[in-house]
Amino acid sequence: MTDHSPAQLNKWLAAGCSAMAVAFSVPPVRRVIEQSMAWHMVFQMPLLVVGGWLSARALSACFSMRGWASFNQFGLTGFMAAQAIVAYWMLPSAIDRAVVMPSADALKLLTLFFTGMLLADAFRRAPGALQLFFMGYWVSMMAWLGMYFATTDLRLCNAYSLQSQRSTGWGLIALGIALGIVWAASLLRHKVRHTS
Amino acid sequence: MDHPSSQTLEVHCGPSLGRTFIASIAVLIVGLAVLFMATGGGQSFTTETLRRQQVMAQPQRIGAFDVTDASGNRTTLNALLAGGENEGRNEGKQLWLVDFVYTRCQTVCSSLGSIYQQLQTQIEERGLQGKVGLLSISFDPAHDDAAALSAYASRMRMNPAIWQMATLSKWQDRQRLLDAFGIMVLPAPLGEFEHNAALHVMRSDGTLIKIMDYLAYETALDTAMAAAAATSSSDFSAAAKHDSIATQPGLHAAR
Repeated sequence: MTDHSPAQLNKWLAAGCSAMAVAFSVPPVRRVIEQSMAWHMVFQMPLLVVGGWLSARALSACFSMRGWASFNQFGLTGFMAAQAIVAYWMLPSAIDRAVVMPSADALKLLTLFFTGMLLADAFRRAPGALQLFFMGYWVSMMAWLGMYFATTDLRLCNAYSLQSQRSTGWGLIALGIALGIVWAASLLRHKVRHTS
Repeated sequence: MDHPSSQTLEVHCGPSLGRTFIASIAVLIVGLAVLFMATGGGQSFTTETLRRQQVMAQPQRIGAFDVTDASGNRTTLNALLAGGENEGRNEGKQLWLVDFVYTRCQTVCSSLGSIYQQLQTQIEERGLQGKVGLLSISFDPAHDDAAALSAYASRMRMNPAIWQMATLSKWQDRQRLLDAFGIMVLPAPLGEFEHNAALHVMRSDGTLIKIMDYLAYETALDTAMAAAAATSSSDFSAAAKHDSIATQPGLHAAR
């Protein structure tokens, strides 16, 4: 039963990422995100999106998005929904709620995983210019928010210490930059592949 | 046109572009509505400001708690606020500024402490000791007994006619107390705690009517009296009107 085809590998990768992201919400690993804002915001949350993205890729053969596609030209609706969900989970009050309320945490797992699925589909449909619009927004949002978290003396989350907030700020900046680079690289790769 | 999706664009451009716009706008409206509700109308991005906004909109009754004061007397929080205990010195007090401390604290509590000292001086100078009291409640009942409270009280040079301390008689009540006031306490290195600190305005009937930033202590008394006047027909209305010039909205606005 050793199947090393890329499709099979993608499925394992998707399952691994998703399981790891969810594990951070389950005791005893949960203590990590309860104590560290950086592990919560810079690791678990993005990992959920990645898990959703990879799952959508891995399972694309199993279900078709044909019905939804006509409402999602260029992936615009998917981008908008992802934008709203991500904006919500950037709120310090939403982060606090996810730490203290299990129901809010479950909502976080579902919506961010779903965001990954939406984005996998949206990026496939979107022309580079539209991708640039949303990526530019997200990268600058992360950098701006990161700078604020890293420099303010105001503790924004009641659930986390100021020190934890500072490291999260630097983490968000790094994540924003990494995201921008990964996106630009993949866009370039597409261009190269389609011109040659 | 080298992008993989360019073919589908041309095929579906007609009706589905319209559908997409409608769907996108619907998603945008739902998203904005959720964000609007989650931020208390776009005003509060943190739990702390939401908490202040909620209390301002709807004063909260605080439940019953057994407390012990610095002399070791056991009473209840409501009885203390209502003017009982403290050898009759609390009688007639209609308003309390309540804060939360632990006596081992070196960081934010010492700045809160010096702010309370200044509030104490203000109350003395304005002759408000019959009306307004200061109460520091310890959220560390495991460590803070009556002796610890009284040591802290003398260190802070508390005037017992104005500023008092209390700790929970039962440590099991700790989480319930913190939840009632919306305080989150995190363990910090060196046995310290990190917590959201603020001035809680309470009426003598045990109702929390306003939460203020402790940095706005210069106007805190006026703001507190104005809040009390606005939520009840006490004799604070006259005092609040008299002092209304000092009560600049910008100074005590929640961040």
